[in-house]
Amino acid sequence: MTANPKLSTWAGILLLISLPAPILIIIGASFSDTSYIQFPPEGLSLRWYRDALFDPRWPRAFAISVGIAAVTAVIVTIVNFMAAYYTQRHAPKLATWLELAIFSPLFFPHAAMGVAMVALVAQFGLIGTAPGIVLAHLIVTLPFSYRPIHIALRSLDPDLVRAANVMGASEWRALKDIVIPMCRSGILTSLLFAGIISFDEVTVTMFLIGPNISTLPVQIFSFVQDSATPVLAAISTISVLITFLAVIILDRVAGLTFFVRHDGA
Amino acid sequence: MSPAQPEALAQAAPSRAARGSIHVAGVAKAYGATTVLSGLDLAVEAGTFVTLLGPSGCGKTTLLRLIAGFIQPTAGRIAIDGRDMAGLPPQRRPIGMVFQNLALFPHFSVEENVAYGLRLRNVPEKELRRKVGTFLDLVGLGHLGSRRISQLSGGQKQRVALARSLVLEPSILLLDEPLSALDLQLRKQLQVALKEIQRELGTTFVFVTHDQEEATLMSDRIVVMSAGLIQQYDTPPAIYSQPANLFVAKFVGELNEVPGRIAGVTGNTIEIDGPDGRHALPASGLRGFSPVPAAPCVIGLRPERITILPPDADASGRITLPGTVIERIALGPVLRFILRCGEQRLVAVRLASDGAALPEAGAACRIAFDPADAQIFEPLAAPAAASFGEKP
Amino acid sequence: MTETQPASPAKALLLLPVLVLLGLFFASVFQLFSNGFADADGWSLRYFRQILNRSDYQVIFARTILSSLTVALLSVALSYPIALLLWRLERWRNTLLIVVLVPWLVSLVVRTYGWLVLLGPKGVINGMLAWTGIIEQPLALMFNDLGIIIGLTHVLIPFAVISILSSLLAIESNLEEASGVLGASRFQTFRRIVLPLSLPGAFTALIVIFLASIGAIVTPIVLGGMSHQFVGSQIYQEVMYTFNLNKAAAWSICLLAISFLSLLLLKAIERRLIGTLE
Repeated sequence: MTANPKLSTWAGILLLISLPAPILIIIGASFSDTSYIQFPPEGLSLRWYRDALFDPRWPRAFAISVGIAAVTAVIVTIVNFMAAYYTQRHAPKLATWLELAIFSPLFFPHAAMGVAMVALVAQFGLIGTAPGIVLAHLIVTLPFSYRPIHIALRSLDPDLVRAANVMGASEWRALKDIVIPMCRSGILTSLLFAGIISFDEVTVTMFLIGPNISTLPVQIFSFVQDSATPVLAAISTISVLITFLAVIILDRVAGLTFFVRHDGA
Repeated sequence: MSPAQPEALAQAAPSRAARGSIHVAGVAKAYGATTVLSGLDLAVEAGTFVTLLGPSGCGKTTLLRLIAGFIQPTAGRIAIDGRDMAGLPPQRRPIGMVFQNLALFPHFSVEENVAYGLRLRNVPEKELRRKVGTFLDLVGLGHLGSRRISQLSGGQKQRVALARSLVLEPSILLLDEPLSALDLQLRKQLQVALKEIQRELGTTFVFVTHDQEEATLMSDRIVVMSAGLIQQYDTPPAIYSQPANLFVAKFVGELNEVPGRIAGVTGNTIEIDGPDGRHALPASGLRGFSPVPAAPCVIGLRPERITILPPDADASGRITLPGTVIERIALGPVLRFILRCGEQRLVAVRLASDGAALPEAGAACRIAFDPADAQIFEPLAAPAAASFGEKP
Repeated sequence: MTETQPASPAKALLLLPVLVLLGLFFASVFQLFSNGFADADGWSLRYFRQILNRSDYQVIFARTILSSLTVALLSVALSYPIALLLWRLERWRNTLLIVVLVPWLVSLVVRTYGWLVLLGPKGVINGMLAWTGIIEQPLALMFNDLGIIIGLTHVLIPFAVISILSSLLAIESNLEEASGVLGASRFQTFRRIVLPLSLPGAFTALIVIFLASIGAIVTPIVLGGMSHQFVGSQIYQEVMYTFNLNKAAAWSICLLAISFLSLLLLKAIERRLIGTLE
C-alpha cells in the first residue's frame, strides 16, 4: 500500500476525510425538513432543534451532562495534581507504582468496567444519582487526566522552585506562585480532556442512570434503540459542537500535538 | 553600558555590619556509596569575592548547593554569619542565588521578578517600588521594568537575575556559573560589572566557575577544588605563583612539566635527575611535597619564566639547555614559542617588544631558566590526571 | 524536580485522594470477581459453566473475538496511510489532527448513530445506490457482522492514528530523508526504517483497539441488533433487563481473561517481530 507514494497519500487523504463523515452526515440531517432521516435533506429547517429544546428531557440531560463533566474534571484534576506533585517532589520511587495503578483501568474492557462500576456504585447505594456517576467518571478519567499534569510538572525547571525558595518562599508559597501558574496549560489540558471524556462517556454511564437522571449520550442511546427521529440528529449536533469547541480550546491551550508527543507516561 | 550608576549604588548599599562570613567545617557529602565531597574546611571572610574553581565533577556545585541548603551534608557543619545552618531550608538562610540558567519567572515581568522576594517579606508597597527601582538602576535596567522576561537579551536577563537576588540584601550571594551561556564579549562586560557591584555593595559573593581566567579576573580569593577536595584556598596571585600541588599549577595557568627523579637532598638544595642529566634546584621550589631519594617528581616551569638565548650565549647563574625553536607564534602583545629540548617539548612566552632579539622558527637556541623559578611537584595521581585528559 | 525534599508526613496526605480512588477501583474489581463466582444462593461456578457450555454463547464469544481481531487489524492497516500523511505534512499536522481528534472525542453514541443513518435499509448509502440505479433491493449493511465491524473500525481508527503517529514522531524526522539520500527506494525506506520504528505504536494500537472492541456495547447493539450479539450486548441485557449482576460479572471476568491472554500473546508476538525486523 505504501509502495507507491502517490497511492499511499491519496489513501491517507480519503481515509482522513472519511473519519468525520458520519458526523457531518448527522449535522446535515439535523437541518432536514422531513420527519425521517434522509440525506441529502430536502428543505432546510430548524424544527428538530426547536423540538429538542421544548422537550424538557433534552435540556435536562444536557445540563446534567455538563454538570457531571465539570465536577468530574475539576475533582480528577485536583486529585491527580496532588498525587503527581507529591510523587515527583517527595517520592519519585513511588511514581512508577502509582502510575501503574493509575493506568490500570485502561486495560479494562469497557463492558467489564461498566459491570465493576455498577457493583461499586451499588455498594454505596448511589445507582441513579449524580454522585454515583461522578464517582465512576473519576475512575474512568483518572489515567487521561494524569498524563498532561505529569508532563507539565516534569518539564517545569526545578531551579524555578529553588529560586523562589532562596528568595524566601515556603514550599506552599512556591507551589501557589510558581508551580501552579507554570503548569497552567497542563492543568487546563487535564480539565478539558477529562471534561470531554466525561461528557461523552456512555458505556459505563448507561448502567448507572436512574429514573431521575440520565446523561445526554445515554439518552441519545436509548432513543437510537427506539426510533431514529431527526431530533437525535439535532441533539447529536449540539454534542458534537461542544466537543469541537473543547478541542479547539485544547489546541489553543496546549497544542494538539500534545496527543502525539512521545514521552513516557 | 555602564554597569553601576554611583547614586544607585549609594542607595543600594545597606548600612552593614560584618555580615557575610561563611564557615565550612568537615563538610562531606555522599550519595550512597559515591562520595562527592570529603571533609572540607573553609572560612570565607565577610565581603570577599570568592570563586569555587575546578573541573566538572570536582564538587564545586555540590558545595554551593550545600551552602544554599538545597541538599544537606552527610557530615560536618556550615555556618553563615556565625549561625549554624544545619536543618535550615533555603528560604530561612541569609542567601541569594543566581542560577546557571537564571531561573527567572517567565510568567512575571522584570519588575515582578525583582519584587517577588520583597513581597514574600511583606515590604510595604511604597518601599518595595523604591527598592525595585533602585536595584534595577543598579544593574542598568531601570527603563525595562515592565518588559516580559522573554523580551530580554541574554545579558539583560543576567542583570535581572542579579537585581532580583541583591534587592533582598542577602549576606551571601551564590552564583552558579551564571555567565557560562553568554558569548565572550558579553561575558567580559558582565565579569567587570559583577566585580564592580560586589565591591560597592560589599556582599560576599560565592561564584562557581570552571574557567580559571574568569576566576583570576574577578576573585579576591579562589578555592581550587578537585575530586571532592579543596586543593588550595588563596588569592589569585598566590595560587598562580605558589600552587599547592601539580593539579593547581596545571589548572591555573599554563605549565611546562619535565619528569624527573629525586637524586638527593642536601641542605637547601634538591638534586634531581632530569631527562638531560642532574640539576640542583633550591628547596624553596618544593610545592607540598617532601622529597625522598629515588621518588619520581615533576619539575614545573611557567612559560614566562623560560628565556630563549642564542646558542652561544652566556647564562651564568641559570640552568641552560640546548634546544630548537619549532614554532614562533605572534599573539598580540606576546610571542609564544614552542621549543624542543631533547625529547621534551616546552612552551615559552616572551614579550613581543623583545621579538627582534629572539630566534625564528627552526633556529637552534639555548633554553635558560633561573633555578629559583623551577617548582618541584609530586606527580599527579591517576584520577587527577584524568581530569586533564591524560593517561597516568 | 530531581532533588527530593525531605517530606513531612503531613504532605503525604496529598496522596490520599488518589489512593482513595484507586482503592475504590480495586474494590470494584474485587466486587466484580466475588459477584462472578456466585449466584443468588452463594458461591457458585454456575454462570461460567453456562457461558462455556451453551452453543449460542459460544457463537457470541467467537463473534466478539473474531470481529474484534478483524477490527483491530483493519484499524491499524487503515490508519497507517493517515498517520504517514500527518507525519510528512508537518505544516498541516495541527489542522489535520483536528480532523482525527474531533471524531475520536465525539461521543461514540453519536458516531454509531451516524453509521446507523449511513448503513440503514433506508440509509444514505442504500438511498444513493438505489437512486443511481445500481441496486434495486437495499443491501444488508447492518444488523450483521459487517455493520458491527464497519462501525467499530471507524470508531477506533482515530486512536490507531494517534498511537502510530506518536511512534513516527519519536523517529528523528530526517531519518527517512537520510535513508532516501543513501539510495533506498521509497518502499525500502518504509520497510526498513518507518515500519520497524512505528511498530511499537502499531502494537499499542492493536492491543488497545482489540480490548476496546471486545468490551464494546453500544456499537454492537445499535449496528448488530439482537440477532448479532457481542459479549457486551449480553452484559447489557443481564444488567439492564434481567438484573442478573452475577451473570454479567461472570461475562466480564471472561472478557478480562481474554484481555489478559491477548495482552500476553500480542506482547510476545511484538517482541518476536521486532526481533526479526532488526
